[in-house]
Amino acid sequence: MSETPEIAEPAAPLLEIRGLTVALPEGGDRAFAVEKIDYVLNPDEILCVVGESGSGKSVTAHAIMGLLPKPDLRIAAGGILFKGRNVVTMAEAEQRRLRGHRIAMIFQEPMTALNPLMRIGAQIEEALEIHTDLGKAARAARVVEMLAAVGLPNPEEIRKSYPFRLSGGQRQRVMIAMALALKPDILIADEPTTALDVTTQKQILDLIKAIQRERRMAVLFITHDFGVVAEIADRVAVMRHGRIVELGAAEQVLNRPSHPYTRALIGALPHGRPADKPAFAPAAAPILAARDVHKVYRVAGTRVGGRRELVVSDHVNLDIHPGETVGLVGESGSGKSTLARTIVGLVKPDGGRIDFAGADLVALDREGFRPYRRHVQMVFQDPYASLNPRHTVGDIVAQGPVAYGTPRAEARARAAELLRLVGLEDSAVARYPHEFSGGQRQRISIARALAMEPKLLIADEPVSALDASVQAQVLKLLAEIKERLGLAMLFITHDLRIAAEICDTVGVMKLGKLVEIGPAAEVFGSPRHPYTRALLDAIPGQGWAPPQDHGGS
Amino acid sequence: MNRDFLHAFARNKGAVLGLAIVGAVILVALAADLLFPASPWEMAGAPFGRPLADGMLMGTDMLGRDIASGVAHGARVSLLIGLASTLAAVAIGVLLGAVAGYYGGRLDDLLMRFTELFQTIPNFVLVVVIVAIFTPSLVSIVVAIALVSWAPLARLVRGEFLSLRSREFVQAAITCGQGDATIIFRQILPNCMSPIIVSASLMVATAILLESSLSFLGLGDPNAMSWGFMVGSARTVLRQAWWMCFFPGFAILLTVLGLNLIGEGLNDAFNPRLRRKRKA
Amino acid sequence: MLRFLLNRLAKAAVVLGVVVVLNFLLIHAAPGDPATVMAGEAGAADQMFVDQLRKQFGLDRPLHVQLGTYVSHILQGDLGFSFRQQRPVADLLLDRLPATVVLTLSAFTLALAGGIALGLLAAVNVGKWADSAITVVALLSYATPIYWVGLMLVLVFSVNLGWLPAFGYESIGAGHAGLARMGDIARHMILPVATLGLFYMAVYTRMTRASALEVSSMDFVKTARAKGQSEWRIVTRHVLRNAILPVLTVAGVQAGQLIGGSILVETVFAWPGLGRLTFDAVLQRDYQVLLGVFFVTSVLVVAFNIVTDVLYVLVDPRVEIAK
Repeated sequence: MSETPEIAEPAAPLLEIRGLTVALPEGGDRAFAVEKIDYVLNPDEILCVVGESGSGKSVTAHAIMGLLPKPDLRIAAGGILFKGRNVVTMAEAEQRRLRGHRIAMIFQEPMTALNPLMRIGAQIEEALEIHTDLGKAARAARVVEMLAAVGLPNPEEIRKSYPFRLSGGQRQRVMIAMALALKPDILIADEPTTALDVTTQKQILDLIKAIQRERRMAVLFITHDFGVVAEIADRVAVMRHGRIVELGAAEQVLNRPSHPYTRALIGALPHGRPADKPAFAPAAAPILAARDVHKVYRVAGTRVGGRRELVVSDHVNLDIHPGETVGLVGESGSGKSTLARTIVGLVKPDGGRIDFAGADLVALDREGFRPYRRHVQMVFQDPYASLNPRHTVGDIVAQGPVAYGTPRAEARARAAELLRLVGLEDSAVARYPHEFSGGQRQRISIARALAMEPKLLIADEPVSALDASVQAQVLKLLAEIKERLGLAMLFITHDLRIAAEICDTVGVMKLGKLVEIGPAAEVFGSPRHPYTRALLDAIPGQGWAPPQDHGGS
Repeated sequence: MNRDFLHAFARNKGAVLGLAIVGAVILVALAADLLFPASPWEMAGAPFGRPLADGMLMGTDMLGRDIASGVAHGARVSLLIGLASTLAAVAIGVLLGAVAGYYGGRLDDLLMRFTELFQTIPNFVLVVVIVAIFTPSLVSIVVAIALVSWAPLARLVRGEFLSLRSREFVQAAITCGQGDATIIFRQILPNCMSPIIVSASLMVATAILLESSLSFLGLGDPNAMSWGFMVGSARTVLRQAWWMCFFPGFAILLTVLGLNLIGEGLNDAFNPRLRRKRKA
Repeated sequence: MLRFLLNRLAKAAVVLGVVVVLNFLLIHAAPGDPATVMAGEAGAADQMFVDQLRKQFGLDRPLHVQLGTYVSHILQGDLGFSFRQQRPVADLLLDRLPATVVLTLSAFTLALAGGIALGLLAAVNVGKWADSAITVVALLSYATPIYWVGLMLVLVFSVNLGWLPAFGYESIGAGHAGLARMGDIARHMILPVATLGLFYMAVYTRMTRASALEVSSMDFVKTARAKGQSEWRIVTRHVLRNAILPVLTVAGVQAGQLIGGSILVETVFAWPGLGRLTFDAVLQRDYQVLLGVFFVTSVLVVAFNIVTDVLYVLVDPRVEIAK
């Protein structure tokens, strides 16, 4: 692995990974989680390790911290040198002195990373208790100082709170405060913003960047998102199947990738620019018109939390025309999925009307809804939860038509046809969902929806659980099918780059309200609502336009 | 999946041991009349005969009855009552749990309050009261045991239904126009069979313990020789004749242990992820 | 805290209310009406006496009126009359209650403390010999009929070794007083408490082990490890409290079973509590006493539930704060 000459090599690397190989338990489909990994981490830089799921990108990080799940994963060969001393061969006690002191780590899931039964202050203080001999008052003062440094309001109060009081973004700030409490040399961040909304992600990325610049720390940042890489990386390592395929300065890897895999990955990214086609001109009356739809959830009190109300649809109006793709974007809890579920009849709204094919769907009871139901179909988010594991793929696709009276044999023949249409092999009919990959399962899900011969297809985050390269393929399939069958589509996503690319019309939702809706080019080109502007502003890596000439899949 | 499951089960030494024990108990129960053609209530030798004396494997009791014969015939009662009451309890528990979990809302609240109540009240005391009032017989014992056993299963099934109900494949079934009965029995129930099977196998064990406790107190079916009865009637002579208590009690221990081992083996085989964690 | 307690008390009242109704229905569902049964118990089955009883207990009035009378009697502490023993059921129960409370509370404490400690020990040493040993012993204890364990313990420790008394609450006629009497009672308690406690200790051990293993795989334990904490500290400060919560919940629910188990243990050890009373009532088919025992044990269960709920609040700060 050659270092790129553009970077001025600092005196000595802080951390050096040498030929690191981590073995997986026997009987798996791979022998090694990572194999012969080499890289260095210098003081005062951010190194991004990027890769798709299963690439082994976070295994190395866990190895550095001695956090590999025992005995499933073990270091088979190679070394991890911190300031020249090999962490792998160190005694456990000595390793512990590094952990949380010289090398600190933050994780992906801020909601579960804190002990629910311990006050925030006590959890941060623990690191100080172990590694320093500060007195009680000094520790408390340091905690308050750290909480303020990561931008939390009322640090004194937060110090005494329990984690369940805090939002995900706040908890991630607490994690960062905890990691930085001892002014470590290295901060390892394992997908720290993946579980967060885009605006919160931006704040956390800014925070990490600012702290890194201020303290001149080394940051090892693990992510799957090239946007994030563009936002924060000085250098990038691209991983695939447990190996590093490309390593270099961020500017070079992002704009002039040399390895075909990197090129394919970057080529598959949504470019985030609205298509250059003219604004959608409706040729007919809307196929679906939602008027004044509202819904309030009354969340029952639990052992922990009290009863409260949650407005999920706040008097929403929405039109969808034949042939039109309407996108709904917004952060978690904005009510975009609830709106979709209201339209397919999974959620009963408190009021308003939804006109479809001459009937008000809201006013219909379950029996009355039945004739309309088949014309509004849905593709779900989670490819692992949306197919019944006990049924064959052929059955799954045929079940809907059978429920509507199609003879079984005919429905199954049609199912086989549809599965071919979505690009699966003929043998798929008799197989079970677990034999398919995530992307293939989404194809099955699409076939199931199509079997009902819908007029309106609702896609609820259909690609958010997929890796970037697979995302592109599924999006392409959806667009083709929509075009070929002349469907109307309601596309729900949290990813504005995808919405920009495939939607004719885009609506922005916040706290149950549709704050802005219009042609994609307008919404993205000249957003009117401040929240839309905030969302757009938060898209990571905006300064970077992925080179498109390499062509994706 | 099936082969994986059998493989996982067969690799679990405890489960195989459990299967062997329970298999042996079933064999003995089936062959009791061949092995010991005489009624276990009849005198077979001198009273207070020690084990292995007079050709009596486990000795005789204070009336000279063959303990080995009693143990063999007792296996029938234990297995019969264990199975029958478990079947009844599973039927009640699955039905109530499925309805509560699938329909949710007030119906769920009501059913779960009811279930909680049955879980809270002292089970064994209720069984004793019911059996005593309705006079001990196979039927009253089975009904009483089923009545106090279904509650935990109902909660379990309800929890499974509640979580599976919001699963996307169930929502997809709704949007495809399938009816409630189809969704409950074809979509959801097959996906919660493994926890139901596991708890059913553990429930058989608990039912056998309950039955033996009842007959220990003298509330067993008076026409059937049972293990609990043998221990209960021999306890006054424990000082002179340990074997009268020991063998029937040990038979209960073995049977219940075997059933528990099977239950755990099934659980591990159904949840490979958990199994790994356990070994980790 | 006050509101929390009031809430629990209201729940307890509902449970007891249902138990009372169930009791009432059981009397009426019994073969033969209560008057015949009572007359049978009193040993006089002639029609005159039965009719007189019917009138006396209002059995000729509509069912809901009878239920009203029954409830009002219970509210006044009248749980019926045992003709066999010629005493009010409430008196009989009150006589026996303290011994049962002492036995069950000790066994519950032993089972909970021991179970949590052993379960945690097994989880920390998962896969090693300590874990295997604890798991096997728990599996065996969990499969053994409780009364048989009692008998076997008597066989070993009283009959063969002669270390401990085999039955009773204290040595009769020994004339112990004060501290000596306490010691005497304690010696009598060892075997019954061990018998009753062992089974439930096995239950809680298995549960704690499973729960601790699950907690150990959670993210916040990884966070703790990333801070450089020692394994011991991680277990005591992070795993323990989180692992106890589900165990406490189940322990509360299962208190009823533990109290039911005490009936068997008391029978084996001739412990002068409700269990012995039950055994005698079963032999004599004394239904009034049996129903009384059911009511009183339900009260006990409800009390145990409140205790575990309070323990839960002490361990989980979120419950109270969220109110």
